[in-house]
Formats: sequence, structure tokens, C-alpha cells
Amino acid sequence: MDGKIIVVTSGKGGVGKTTVTASIGAALALQGKRVAVIDMDIGLRNLDVVMGLENRIVFNVVDVIQGRCKLKQAMIKDRRIDNLFLLPASQSDDKNVIKPENMTWLCNKLRKEFDFTFLDCPAGIEQGFKNAIEAADEAVVVCMPEVSSIRDADRVIGLLYSRSITPKLIVNRIIPKMVARGDMLSHKDVVEVLSIDLLGLVEMDEAVVISSNTGTPIVMQKESKAGMAFNRIAMRLDGHPDLPIEDPLAQKSIWKKLGIKMGRKKGAA
Amino acid sequence: MIMFNTLLKKLMHRADDSKDVAKKRLKFALVYDKLEIKDDMLEDLQKDLIEVISRYFEIDRSQLLLDIERGEGSSALILNTPILSARHKNAPQRVPANR
Repeated sequence: MDGKIIVVTSGKGGVGKTTVTASIGAALALQGKRVAVIDMDIGLRNLDVVMGLENRIVFNVVDVIQGRCKLKQAMIKDRRIDNLFLLPASQSDDKNVIKPENMTWLCNKLRKEFDFTFLDCPAGIEQGFKNAIEAADEAVVVCMPEVSSIRDADRVIGLLYSRSITPKLIVNRIIPKMVARGDMLSHKDVVEVLSIDLLGLVEMDEAVVISSNTGTPIVMQKESKAGMAFNRIAMRLDGHPDLPIEDPLAQKSIWKKLGIKMGRKKGAA
Repeated sequence: MIMFNTLLKKLMHRADDSKDVAKKRLKFALVYDKLEIKDDMLEDLQKDLIEVISRYFEIDRSQLLLDIERGEGSSALILNTPILSARHKNAPQRVPANR
């Protein structure tokens, strides 16, 4: 059976695409799937450092496409997780060296080898984006609860729809206490504005910064809320689409929330 | 579509949270982006709509809300206004009667 090709995209940069790609990929591999993650950000590669594999790069995705090596030679096996492989981006080329038809060829090869292939899309909606979505079966749109990120997400969602792909949304870096006091859009607001199905909610978590410092997978840290959220997202992608989505706000005690509400009422009077 | 629940909404929820401002700005930005129109077009539309509704109803203009609701593949423009009273049938329709 052919595996799935899933593109991770956002439009805006810096919202956590690479972390999402590395984390969901790692989680699915830990759940026993064969997983490939491909860095499509030609010229500005980063997935390798986030995964701690930067010193193992020999060949890259451009080498594979241009026939300088075999796909197997370019795939880097993860240090900790079996069944997880990285195909890094080239750092010296630019995005125009890859054509959409190259991606169709590459993805057909990847489908045969892996249960899941995640394409870490570059920011923007130009050639790099077009390449990344060309052969994708599904799409995950990452956004932060913030206006510019949501506006860009809306643009990207529109472009995906025009390619007959119905994307799913991950709201990343939610700060529950700001949502509680009305200074950050809640995931419900974001979903209402974008009118798209939710795949998962990820809280702002210092552990993500720390794990990217060391190049270790956040999903292996049981005490990390973000790590656990990524694990649940992976389960939703792999046969458990109805696994309930935990509301980061609900994790605060009901009394604390009441207190915030009362405080606001007093302030308003 | 005209809805009558503005007052209820106002009572239930403070509308001046910064996230409400963000949400409103976003909704309109997305519509402008998609239709590639300027925001004064929607303002003109609002003015015209008020004028038409005012011919038939006495409305509270300060409570008037223009909103956008997005569904699958389409967006709905929602003008939300409390209606104070219906205008008298015999009153001249273009000029407000009781002024």
C-alpha cells in the first residue's frame, strides 16, 4: 500500500512549521510507522538542526532530484528513533532548481518506502511552496493565534483548496493565560475566522526551545505539554481522527478561571 | 440578514478585549483580501443599508454592528441592529416622521 504525503505549511515564517514537522514525524515513528521528513526550504535548511542531524549530511534533496545520488544514500537515519529518516535541503541552491514535476517523481518513490512523508514547506507562496504542495495528498496548516499569521494561513488555505486539498489546522504557541484574560485569540476564534477543521492545539512551551537547543525530539519528553500535544496530533493522523482535542484553557482549574472572570467584571464596573 | 440579539450579546460579553479587536480586524481583512475591495466600499454599503432600514424602522444607530460570517465557500455580511420601533405606515417613507 502506498504511504501518505503530507505537506506542513503556513504562509508566514516563524510560526513553528519545522518544529511541527520534526515532532509529528518523530511521534509517528515512535508509534511504529516508517516516516520520512523532507526539508523543502532549499537555501535555508533548518529541519536538520532541529532534529540534531546537521553533522550527518552527505547528500540532499537536490542531489536526489538531479540524479547525483540514490534516494537511499541521501536519507539520514535518526539517531534515537528507528524508522525515522530525514532528507535534508540543499544549502547552496535556490528554490527554482526544483520543478513541480520533480516532486511528483520524488514523492512517488517516497510513497513506496514510507507510511508517512512530511514535507516541511518554506515560508511564502512562491516556487518553494508550489513545489512542496505539488504532490501532497494532505496538508497541515500551522498558525499562531495572532492576526498576521492567521491572515497568511487563510491565503495558503485558499491556495490549497484550489489544488483540491482540504487542509487541517494546528494552532501553535497558545498562551492560555492571555486567552483567559481576552488578550489572545482562542482556538475557537481562529477556527471561526478560518472555517477549517482542527487537527490539534499546541501550547507555548519552553521545553520546545530547550529541545531545539539540543536537537532532541520534544515528543519523547513526557512532561512537556507541547510534546504530548504533538503525540496526540500524530495519533489523529494515524487512524484515530476522533481523538478528542484538549483545550489548553481547560487545563487550568475552574476556580482560577472564575477568579479571572470576576476580576474582569470588577475592573469593568 | 438582520439579527436582534445585539443587546443580549453586549450584556453577556465585554466587546473591548484586544482579542475581539483582532478578530474583527481579521474578518474584514480577509474579506478585503479576497474581494480586493477597499474598506470604504463596505462603509458606503453600511450607510446605504442604514438609510433603507431607517425608512421602515426606528433603529439605534449607536448599537449598529456590521459583521462577517464565513461558511464553506461563501461569506455572509451581517448587519446587526436593535430595532426601537416600526415606523407608522402612513408616515412619509423617505423623511423621518417624528423629528
